[in-house]
Amino acid sequence: MKKRVLSLGLVLALLTAALAGCAGKQNASWKVTCPWAPSGVAAMVSQQAATKSTSYSDTITLVAEAIKGDAATVNTWVADTKANDTQLVFVGEGLLSITSILDPDKLQFGYEDFVFVENLYSSIFVLSADAKLNISSIADLEEYVKQGDEISVAVNGAVGSEAFLAASLFGAMGAGSQLKLTPYQSAAEAAQAVARGETQFAVSHQSQILETYQQGGVTVVCAFDEKAIENGPFAGVEGVGSKGYPYFRNRCFIMARAGTDEKKVAELKELYGKILADKEVADWLHDTMLLEVDTMSVADVEAHIDNVKSIVNQYKDIVAG
Amino acid sequence: MKDQLARLNARLDAIGKRLDEKELRIPVDLVTGVLFALFALVIFQVMPDQVVVSEKDVVNGRAFPTLLMALMLLCCVMLIGKELYKLATRQPLAWKTINLLVEVKALIILLILAGTYFLSRLTGLFVVGGVFCCLGFLLYFRCRKPSYYVITVALAVGIWAAFRFVLGVNF
Amino acid sequence: MLQHIVPASGLLFTLENILWINIGVFIGSVFAAIPGLSVILCVILFLPVTYSMTAIPGMMFLLGIYCAGGYGGSVSAILINTPGTPHAAATMLDGHPLSEQGRTKAALKIALYASTFGGIFSALMLLFLGPQVAKVAAQLGTAEYFMVCVFGLTIIAGVSGKSMIKGLISACLGLLISCVGSDPMTSYDRFTFGIPRLYLGLDLAICLIGLFALVEILAKAEKKPGSLNLDARKIKDDGVITKDEYKRLVRPTIISSIIGVMVGIIPGTGASEASWFSYNTAKNMSKHREEFGHGSVEGIAAAESANNAVTGATLIPLLTLGIPGDGTVAIMLSALMINGLNPGLSLFTTQGDIMYAIMLGLILVNLFMLLQGKFLTSLFAKVVSIPQEILTPIIVIFCFAGAFSVNENYFDVGVALIFGILAWVLRKLELPPVPILLGLVLGSMTETNFRRALLISNGSPGIFFSSAYCIIFLILIIAAVGTIVRGKVLERRAAAKKED
Repeated sequence: MKKRVLSLGLVLALLTAALAGCAGKQNASWKVTCPWAPSGVAAMVSQQAATKSTSYSDTITLVAEAIKGDAATVNTWVADTKANDTQLVFVGEGLLSITSILDPDKLQFGYEDFVFVENLYSSIFVLSADAKLNISSIADLEEYVKQGDEISVAVNGAVGSEAFLAASLFGAMGAGSQLKLTPYQSAAEAAQAVARGETQFAVSHQSQILETYQQGGVTVVCAFDEKAIENGPFAGVEGVGSKGYPYFRNRCFIMARAGTDEKKVAELKELYGKILADKEVADWLHDTMLLEVDTMSVADVEAHIDNVKSIVNQYKDIVAG
Repeated sequence: MKDQLARLNARLDAIGKRLDEKELRIPVDLVTGVLFALFALVIFQVMPDQVVVSEKDVVNGRAFPTLLMALMLLCCVMLIGKELYKLATRQPLAWKTINLLVEVKALIILLILAGTYFLSRLTGLFVVGGVFCCLGFLLYFRCRKPSYYVITVALAVGIWAAFRFVLGVNF
Repeated sequence: MLQHIVPASGLLFTLENILWINIGVFIGSVFAAIPGLSVILCVILFLPVTYSMTAIPGMMFLLGIYCAGGYGGSVSAILINTPGTPHAAATMLDGHPLSEQGRTKAALKIALYASTFGGIFSALMLLFLGPQVAKVAAQLGTAEYFMVCVFGLTIIAGVSGKSMIKGLISACLGLLISCVGSDPMTSYDRFTFGIPRLYLGLDLAICLIGLFALVEILAKAEKKPGSLNLDARKIKDDGVITKDEYKRLVRPTIISSIIGVMVGIIPGTGASEASWFSYNTAKNMSKHREEFGHGSVEGIAAAESANNAVTGATLIPLLTLGIPGDGTVAIMLSALMINGLNPGLSLFTTQGDIMYAIMLGLILVNLFMLLQGKFLTSLFAKVVSIPQEILTPIIVIFCFAGAFSVNENYFDVGVALIFGILAWVLRKLELPPVPILLGLVLGSMTETNFRRALLISNGSPGIFFSSAYCIIFLILIIAAVGTIVRGKVLERRAAAKKED
């Protein structure tokens, strides 16, 4: 009996060792960690890219993972990875340009801890207004602001990109003191708030306001971009940049750990490039998610981070008080 | 070996019997009231450090916790007052008997749980903690059936493998 | 609608869909039965599987997990006094005592039947009244949400046990714990004590593991060696539910299903709230109030029918307005979007057949859940006869693995352990743990909506009485408080009579 128990124990130990050994053999698998909600835009795009990766590469398989937690998830990622680990992470302007200024203690990393791989998409936020206000252009908005009444804007999160876009637009119009930002737990909630008249305006991704817009609950006033939106259901909506107001697009960069072999990074960038050139992916991004494919260089990334940082520095008093 | 085990068990039984006879009676409502009143006061004390507020806030981040702690304090005062009234009018207080053997056994279980946690965390391999947990509990229950040891350890390894390789949980 | 039903049925009744429904139902039942492995975590883990599927089988698979998860949580609640998922906590209050009376199979069966009824009821609501109901729900604003939360907090009285004061202390503690983390209105940290991971707040599933599962493990210390394992000879568990019991189940099941649907259509609320509201309502309306907490069949039916009635209802705002009703449904949204479907009323015109196939599929999911559940009940019931020497470490391993899986971090396992110790201390002080759970469930929602409402109204409390919905909720709150006071008076009178 004793022998039987011993041999069984041995078999189990071997099995454990073998299973543990298997874990280290996934050289071609790159885990892409998205630190936001699994139902969010970035997580969905990452998942779509992962699904396509096997069609375009024999050596790299992307494995998408979404662990909600924002800075905490990226802190852990940075602490647990080293150069050349087969791990990638999403980092956006929220962390690199907003949290780094408003709450730097929250971040245990900096831009220098990463090496940029690729940016997959950019999203143009839009400002929507309660349909009863009858505001459908920047000129209407400027007129409305001149009346000097309180301006309430529903945003997703208290100090997110949406809050800063609202603050920069109304701040630049000279109405920073009239502005009241009302934070909601999600973009969908913020969109609904403006539709039922709880706030006058909302800032959201285009896809998040689409249904409310189609049902006539809101009008879409302007887009936070240089020029007017060219395609999709919001084609023709003016860009705030054309009137000289500040703006930025929402972008999420895929990063590897700093020090990762340049060749590997280039290989990953090439793979992402092929995936984004896939018509099915591009159409899906464009038609369903209302996003734009937006590959970038390191210089573009740094310019984007700096642009958002300057907006945050200028308008942080309106947002954070 | 068997004799040694029997002797060890007998000694443990003797200790257990002694502990079982030792009981501690606490005026439970009074203790609860005092403990949580102190807790509420501590929270009030740390609130300025722990909750940053802005002048812009209509209702700031301290309002809700302050309201809660005030309510907790009120409940504690009522609880203490009720017990003191009972004491003054010589009515029986609410007592709770704490058995020392139960607490020592709970402490041993807690040590097994903590051991499982620390072993998993330090080795980075959950399965190590899992196997420790199985052995710890089987020894705690003084299990003498080898088959139970085999089944439990096998299940622990199986659970870990299912999480690790089927669900992709990295531990 | 009728023009879509026939083509939708054609799309739905395929071997592939039926297979995926059954796989989903099985995974959901098993997953939710394991403490710490919540339905949302299960959906997250299996979501990538659906990305290579078309919309209908993908949604059928996820709906299978979602609905069966609603029922699966009750299994561990009944068997080992540990809710597998947060929304099964109310089921535990009566499910486990009934199991301890040797009626494990009956408890599991009641949970299954009630869950199926609730699920099908909400699926029918979705099918026939979806768009109309969603429009009403969309009118509920921040002030109304706050009133719903206050109504929810009145449940504390019902789950406080002997002392309402102690229940309130527990609830305050739970509500305070829900404040830990990033302030939802300002993003500043609160009560994080310099621990970076705490700014995410404490996950409900992790707290639940400590409060209910690990404390049960520590409670093994209270058992004498001879009483650890059940004596199989003494248990005659035939699983029979008597005619009288069936009769008693009808009313709470129907009322709780209605409550479940009403809660489910309000985005942001979920199965946990629904099951507590229903449990409390069933208790207040029952002729056998004294049985609640001691193995009441009505208690199990109320909690289970409500938490499964939420499943169809949360899909109402999703499919009609594009607003996910709860976290799990938000993840399902991506399964639709990845297939190019952007939910909303317009989709009923452009892709009506697919939308109706999904809605009809929900009925099918519940039927398969019943079939699988009937088979699994006997299997699950055997868990109680597993020797404690084996079962105890296995429960611990599942709990720790579940806690780790939530964020893939040992920090959470440590948090679960600390909550286990806290629950042990509270047990010694005779403080009920359920109000803590209620505080955790309702805390963030109550505070956020309270502060946001006052922000909207510039500090005027008049906002809480500003709409017809607010007034309705206010009446409900007054009625609930009235019932509590009346109940306490009756209890005192009964106690005084006994003393005489």
